[in-house]
Amino acid sequence: MCDFSGKLIAWLDHELPAEEATVVERHLQDCSECRSSVDAYKKVSGEFDAYCDAAIASSVRRGVPTWAPITAAAGAAAAFVALFLVIPRTRVELPAFHLPQAAVAASPAVVAAAVPASVSSIQKIHRRRTVKSASTRNANAAPAQSQNAYLPPDEPMIQIAIPADEIYPPGAVPEGMHFVADLTIAADGSAEGLRLRPRFAGFERRTIHP
Amino acid sequence: MSGDAAPLALPFSRLSTCASEATTLYRELREPMLRYLVCLGLSSDEAQDVVQDAFLILHRHLASGGTQENIRGWLFRVAHNQARNRQNRYDRNFSAASDAEIEAVSHQATPERAVLEKEKFQQLRKAIRLLTASERECLLLRASGLRYREIGEVLGIATSTVNDTVDRAIKKLAEKCNV
Repeated sequence: MCDFSGKLIAWLDHELPAEEATVVERHLQDCSECRSSVDAYKKVSGEFDAYCDAAIASSVRRGVPTWAPITAAAGAAAAFVALFLVIPRTRVELPAFHLPQAAVAASPAVVAAAVPASVSSIQKIHRRRTVKSASTRNANAAPAQSQNAYLPPDEPMIQIAIPADEIYPPGAVPEGMHFVADLTIAADGSAEGLRLRPRFAGFERRTIHP
Repeated sequence: MSGDAAPLALPFSRLSTCASEATTLYRELREPMLRYLVCLGLSSDEAQDVVQDAFLILHRHLASGGTQENIRGWLFRVAHNQARNRQNRYDRNFSAASDAEIEAVSHQATPERAVLEKEKFQQLRKAIRLLTASERECLLLRASGLRYREIGEVLGIATSTVNDTVDRAIKKLAEKCNV
């Protein structure tokens, strides 16, 4: 093994002092063994980077059922079709931020018709779970929607409850009061607007149309 | 009154400088930090919590006049220690994203390419598992763009040790993956 083999990775990482780096570069011109080692180290470093990217991408997707990728493409296509079929007939006005829920609820029903019998039992289990969770979410979303009917419906919105103690000194606001921050998110994911509203505990669950 | 205004102006201006600096750092370092923490074995949610905590601590650190040298290494060290605390609390071991489902990379590629990439990643995952915790951490921090000196500060080891560890780890991976 070449004497320089211990310095090649540090050289690749620009971690060698200038004089040493020059010596290594001169050596690389003559030594094919070191040149191929440098190529290998470069390649494995790149693969390690890609592996890290894949790990974070998959960690974000981990909430999705593990077999979901099998039907993901079909599901997406079915969701599209379902939306086109459903929306004009029932004339349901779906705000932009409700579309994903409609897609989740609609896709398995259409997918189930297209899959072979061997996998349909698994599909059924998933369908039940998905529909249940989607309906639960819709039930939760309904009062929130009516409560915030005055807000522009076509902008995705996040509500953050802030205890008054976090922003004012103790005693500065009446007991039981907290704040709700309405955060609207622009299409590119950036925060577009922030509105801070005072709220009294106990009045939170009251809806305009019970 | 003008005499009172002068001492008040200092902390406020420092605070706003700190805030803008912290915002710039947040934009620049959030993703690499998340990537590092997830690859250490934290869930995506835990990683986001840790990054948020780290930036809160940074804000307090800068507002209280703490040192502004090598903030990048400082932030990674805070995040690293927080991750370690969490993992101790949940009694889990550091793992190199052992349960990472690597299909994530394949959705943009052709099927043949996706299969090849998956095989390559599985081979790499096996090789990464054979590394020591310190070797893995060094490589992850290196992949996050940290210099050897910064890696040494994060992990509390000498720069020369980082140099040796990275050298050994890359050579092990190259050997196991037949690169």
